[in-house]
Amino acid sequence: MANNQEVIDRVVKVTARVLNVDPGMIKAESNFVFDLGAESTQSIQLVAAFEEEFNIEMDAEDALSVQSVADAAAFIQKYLK
Amino acid sequence: MRLILIDGPESKRANFYPLTLSRPVFALRVGMSSLAEKLSAKLGLTDVACFIPEYMAAPFALRSTYTVNKVESLKGDDLFIANGRIKASTFTATASGPSEVGTCDNEVCWARINKADLAKLKTDSIEALLASAKAILPNKPCGAEMWNYTWDLILSNPQVLADDFKAAGRSGIEGSVEQPNAIRGDKKNVFIAKGAVVHPMVVIDAEHGPVYLDEGVEVHPFTRIEGPCYVGKKSILLGTKCREGMSIGPMCRVGGEVEESIIQGYSNKYHDGFLGHAYVGEWVNLGALTTNSDLKNDYGSVSVMLDGRTPIDTGSTKVGSLIGDHTKTSIATLFNTGSVIGAMALIMATGKPLPKFIPSFAWYIDGNVTKGFGKGKLYGTAKIAMSRRKCQWTPDDEKMWDAIFAMTAGPRDEAVKRARKAMLK
Repeated sequence: MANNQEVIDRVVKVTARVLNVDPGMIKAESNFVFDLGAESTQSIQLVAAFEEEFNIEMDAEDALSVQSVADAAAFIQKYLK
Repeated sequence: MRLILIDGPESKRANFYPLTLSRPVFALRVGMSSLAEKLSAKLGLTDVACFIPEYMAAPFALRSTYTVNKVESLKGDDLFIANGRIKASTFTATASGPSEVGTCDNEVCWARINKADLAKLKTDSIEALLASAKAILPNKPCGAEMWNYTWDLILSNPQVLADDFKAAGRSGIEGSVEQPNAIRGDKKNVFIAKGAVVHPMVVIDAEHGPVYLDEGVEVHPFTRIEGPCYVGKKSILLGTKCREGMSIGPMCRVGGEVEESIIQGYSNKYHDGFLGHAYVGEWVNLGALTTNSDLKNDYGSVSVMLDGRTPIDTGSTKVGSLIGDHTKTSIATLFNTGSVIGAMALIMATGKPLPKFIPSFAWYIDGNVTKGFGKGKLYGTAKIAMSRRKCQWTPDDEKMWDAIFAMTAGPRDEAVKRARKAMLK
């Protein structure tokens, strides 16, 4: 099982790339939509990018209910077990 | 006598994908009616049963008058069994005559089985009946041409429209035509059914082919309809440049420029944008300015990749898009010549012509095939779209689409993986 901080760091890296924002602006509690400005299509791209980064297959509908960076890391952890 | 329509083999059904993912081949349209209706009319048989893939049987039965996948329909009457891909206009066999079997490439295309001979045959399944009929009854060549690909229907559509209009034997104005209006050509080539309303400033050009506007059709101002053309019940044309060879099924909304295409029914192409030599399924919504190419710049023969891998040379210089049921496109979507757009796909424009194959259930976003919000969200949208036309999405629809989701997983999963890699490069 991956270290939680390591997962958060990788989520931040991917999020910064997909949403084209400075990684320094992204905190664990950052909300993808309200804090980072993710449009619905970017949310879909984020899920795809997390799947590629972590080499996992997530349930699309469940994944899109995730709101924040920390939630995303926790959600991804379930697939890494 | 009962007509039994058969739908297969699967290798031939796949030649009509994505349209036949969700319906039998014989439910496809050409001219003014479906292939099944043409065979039924040709043989003069109104008692019709059919055998189709089990996963689509319940939704098809719900919306059809035919008896579907019932083994009892193989008993108790004289039978005429026909493959739904038979071109009715080329079919020389008749309903009456001795029991015999018509074959093509060693497969049964049709079988006439008198009730007395049924006792000699196995009737516990359609497959068993066909096999025993082939083994026991006299065999002869099929004697008819078959529809082999979706583009066969598209390319034949103008001629079939003209033939169907003649066979229907209807002409004249039973609906309302508000003046000023212009009908060019022989008025005998125009039929406007009761309840149809043609607004002022519409041109109906029947000089080169007939125009049939079915019951409840509404034609808005500045529409030009060029024959041959059929517009199905309760469809609406909205200032449309409706060029020759169009078949529009029921309950459609069609605007912009359309030419030599078939729209199955219940689909919207409300706005400007060109659709040519295309086949569009049901519950499709083409966003404003969605346009398909139907001619290559080098005027070469168009190839189509039905499975996303293997190009098939259509032998025609004109083939547009084949678009499956429930697919939606964003504004300004551009489809390349001979594109195959799967069913239940959601397409966002990129500003460039899209790839020639987009899998079913794909969410095509920013040039990538993704899983999107998943099929549940697509089903939700389908429910809304159907309720807007007073139709109901049923649990059987959901089961059928779940089966289609599984059937089409291969190319979609490959495309999703390719796109994910590209996304993080």
